[in-house]
Amino acid sequence: MATQWTPTSAGSAGSAGSTPEPGWEEQGFLVGGPGRAAEVAVVALVEAGALRISREGLVSAVGRPRAGTSPLGTAVLRRLPMSLGDVIIATASSAEAQSLRHYLVGSGLVTPPGRRQGVRTARRLLIAAAVATVVATIVLELPFWLALGAVLVGVVGAIALGRAGRPLTSRGRDVVKRLKPLAVSPNRIALVACYGLLGKVERHHVWEVLGISPAAAATLRRRSRGSGSDGGASCGGGCGSCSSSSCGSGSSCGGSSCGGGSDSGGSSCGGGGCGGGGGD
Amino acid sequence: MEKLGVGIGWRPEIDLTVERLPGVDFVEVVAENLHVGHLPESVLLLRERGVPVLPHAVSLSLGGAEPVDARRVAHLGALAEALDAPLVSDHVCFVRAGGLDSGHLMPLPRTRDALDVLVANVKAAQQDLPVPLALENVAALLEWPDGELTEGQFLAELVDRTDCHLLVDVANLYANARNLGTDVARFLDEIPLERLAYVHVAGGEEHQGVYHDTHAHAVLPEVLDVLAQLRARVDPPGVLLERDDDYPADAELAAELAAIRAVLG
Repeated sequence: MATQWTPTSAGSAGSAGSTPEPGWEEQGFLVGGPGRAAEVAVVALVEAGALRISREGLVSAVGRPRAGTSPLGTAVLRRLPMSLGDVIIATASSAEAQSLRHYLVGSGLVTPPGRRQGVRTARRLLIAAAVATVVATIVLELPFWLALGAVLVGVVGAIALGRAGRPLTSRGRDVVKRLKPLAVSPNRIALVACYGLLGKVERHHVWEVLGISPAAAATLRRRSRGSGSDGGASCGGGCGSCSSSSCGSGSSCGGSSCGGGSDSGGSSCGGGGCGGGGGD
Repeated sequence: MEKLGVGIGWRPEIDLTVERLPGVDFVEVVAENLHVGHLPESVLLLRERGVPVLPHAVSLSLGGAEPVDARRVAHLGALAEALDAPLVSDHVCFVRAGGLDSGHLMPLPRTRDALDVLVANVKAAQQDLPVPLALENVAALLEWPDGELTEGQFLAELVDRTDCHLLVDVANLYANARNLGTDVARFLDEIPLERLAYVHVAGGEEHQGVYHDTHAHAVLPEVLDVLAQLRARVDPPGVLLERDDDYPADAELAAELAAIRAVLG
């Protein structure tokens, strides 16, 4: 079992500076968390002819199971045969997926969970202080500018801390931003990384575009917004890391899109935000 | 016997592969793995296309000393009706005794007493089956002592007394030739080939000097040679490739089917 993540190459967009562009699984993780990365690993193995998905959704190795081309791919192959939905969930909670998360944090693409927690706490305290100041101003009949100042500081501070507490770093958001133009039908793996199997592209589910049967797709599970708490990596905002972790925690949701960068919401690469990535 | 052509064993793992492989004339399903009430979509799709689907049983234990389990026969019959199958099949073997299941297709002692038991059980099963029954020769790693008949003679007499059909597994025949010294030519000369329903072909491997009919490896050229020897005697109504594990790429399965077709000419 892999305890360290070996970065894979996406062979996609040019890299920024000398840093290699993250591989598809890594990009999928950034957009949709470990579940999305697991989906990418499964589809990459199908594309490589290493496994097949049956009409009923049973995933099995082609020939004798061999080592995957990535630790996550190996984690997939180790679990077969298994239903598509189950193998994605099992792989998303594997040690390899955890290693990938640590790798992305170490690479400066994902905000460390501890820092996010600290920022969230500070944000709550700031808002509470602002509210308390406003209440005190009214009750104690203090000067109005005190309340106005508290509101201004509270709003500006909350926005600033909200940005600082997003799951992805600015570099991580840049990677996600570069992914979307690549996520077109011929690039099936990029499509999964960006939208997830249950996501939609041009009014079709990605699983349909890939030729996966409805019965097989029915084994995939959407995750609900707000379950879990760990946070970790996430597509800028759409609660991407809904895998085993969070979508919903606080400030990260509703943040940036697959296009990254902006906080203003907008279209999520995950096709509807948290859970849009199906097995995420 | 109805002409079946060249087919492949339908298995859940390779359902889409089987649907997509070119030139699959018929398929076989493991009867015990299907429920009449909810047949797999893939199997129904094949039926809609007009592809014959033949139920193949592994648990009737027709050579066992105990009476045949009527529920198992009823299931096989119901499946045959649900699939509109022209025939069903099982093996010349026993798989349970004394309440225990062997988990393997155990060979029978080739004695007249054992043949009497087998004939009685086959006749009992035939009475409750809506379609003809074909019986398959098994691969064995041992021969019971005091055999009175060759395997070919044993099968010939079984057919003569029950009017059953034969499902000849050339891979099993090859395995028995390798492991037990069965004379392939004599076997093929002794069995009533006019009662041949179809033929099984499968892969295997040698392990520590013993050939194992694994259904998880490629078909050996030697197995195709046995098929060629059979083909030299008769034009088989059907030949089916069996694969039960380590399913290879679609192209590999297609190549194995093509190799079978090449032998059949």
